[in-house]
Amino acid sequence: MRVVIVEDHALLREGIIALLQENDIEVVAQAQDADGLLRIVDGHKPDLAICDVRLPPTFTDEGIKAALEARRRHPELAILVLSQYVEPAYSGELLAAGESGVGYLLKERVSEVRTFIEAVQRVAAGGTVLDREVVSALVSERHRSTADTQLDALTSRERETLELIAQGRSNAAIARELVVTLGAVEKHISNIFAKLDLPATNDDHRRVLAVLTYLRATS
Amino acid sequence: MSDQRPSVRARPLVERVALLPPALLLALTVLIWMLTGLGYFWPIWVAIGLAIPLGLLGAVRWARRRARQRDRAVAGIEAVGVVMSVAVVVIWLVTGMGYFWPVWTMLGFTALWTVSWVIVRPKQRSLEVRVDELTRTRSGVLDEQASQLRRIERDLHDGAQARLVALSMQLGRAEERLADNPETAALVRAARQEATAAIAELRDLARGISPPVLADRGLEAAVQSLADRTGATVSVNVDIPRRPPPVVETAAYFVVAESLTNAAKHAPGAAVRLTMWAEHGELGIVVADDGLGGADPDGSGLTGLRQRLEALDGWLQVTSPVGDGTTIRAVLPCEW
Repeated sequence: MRVVIVEDHALLREGIIALLQENDIEVVAQAQDADGLLRIVDGHKPDLAICDVRLPPTFTDEGIKAALEARRRHPELAILVLSQYVEPAYSGELLAAGESGVGYLLKERVSEVRTFIEAVQRVAAGGTVLDREVVSALVSERHRSTADTQLDALTSRERETLELIAQGRSNAAIARELVVTLGAVEKHISNIFAKLDLPATNDDHRRVLAVLTYLRATS
Repeated sequence: MSDQRPSVRARPLVERVALLPPALLLALTVLIWMLTGLGYFWPIWVAIGLAIPLGLLGAVRWARRRARQRDRAVAGIEAVGVVMSVAVVVIWLVTGMGYFWPVWTMLGFTALWTVSWVIVRPKQRSLEVRVDELTRTRSGVLDEQASQLRRIERDLHDGAQARLVALSMQLGRAEERLADNPETAALVRAARQEATAAIAELRDLARGISPPVLADRGLEAAVQSLADRTGATVSVNVDIPRRPPPVVETAAYFVVAESLTNAAKHAPGAAVRLTMWAEHGELGIVVADDGLGGADPDGSGLTGLRQRLEALDGWLQVTSPVGDGTTIRAVLPCEW
């Protein structure tokens, strides 16, 4: 897997590079601003670009814009955006660019090394990763808002499971996280699909897409 | 909201109509004078009698066109003086031009004018200068404060937050290497979790100071984001052609944030309509819900907002009849 990194904060950039290399992920190039992102993506044709939302010169949202532009030029490029904020507007724009191979994570997730590396691998492989804060913001607010949404029919355990599914976790990972058996997770998931009228498949990735589609449709 | 402003265009027509009855009356007296044998021209007294109130009325109206209250008072005294002086001179002319008694009336008014020119006007001018100065410096201070808050938010983002993220990442890497030393690994994990908690707290703090999406994307995107996050169904309608100054943008954002929070809290399940527009140098906000109403317009949140808007020469109004929803209206001056 060939990765490029765009982050203006040197300490963080170096740290992420070291972290990835320790886990056998090849970092082929790095940059500090939006122009740099487009340049190294054009030049190195990486599998995945990891980038910060705020970049020089204006430190607003040029990271998202540059990532979307890079994606437009190279549709096969996977994008993992790191942000210090939960901003559904930005994650929504990323998802609008296509559901496969995109991710939006809060920056501090890099400290949970194994989860972060899993997320990087999942996005590079064409999967979707949304930060649990983004997902829980969407799920819990939708839950509060409309008294009779389908989400209301879910039990709290099923809702936790749904949030984890939307983060792209595997059944085994969900079982670990919730400290339940694999069979219990599978039961929760089939209940969720039944209550949300989603067709159940064996494909993890399509499962995430179905959940995301549902979240977007209700937002 | 623009239809609440009084219309000024209709006035000249009203004034022309008001002149009509005196003119008819005068014509009638002249006719009577002609029919009764053209003796002493007594209708002149009717004319004078009608002209004085009309002149005073005109003087008052002229004075009222002044923008400031104090200007109006001074201009009113002066204009009434002119009208009365002309009136006494005319009476003196009509009554045979003997001893020039109108001089006393005119002297009285001259004394008033002198007071107004020598004492009132200079004082008034210095007050005007002071008001202009205060208005200018106040808006300077508020602008400076708004951009300073955005700078603080950015400094937090690039400084403390980034360092904490780097720290938590190093701790994460250290934890990975301590697989064979579970006790130390647990300590490092606890430290990492503390760092992560600090990052989350800083994030909440920064959002309360100046939400990044507002600085990055502007008011429309920021209120849309608020609407998406709030627990109610919100229809958003924003018509703001250009970005207002930061101080106005931030104040408007917090009006919407507080209003939506109130709506979610006091009118759960109600549909909320959010309308924002900018025209004629004003930014208007209306947040209306169809809940139960009965909100306390002097609640602490709304009072804080009102003070915030008043500092910008804006206003906020809460209408919340019991059983008939709550509407919050706010207007902010918004010069580009």
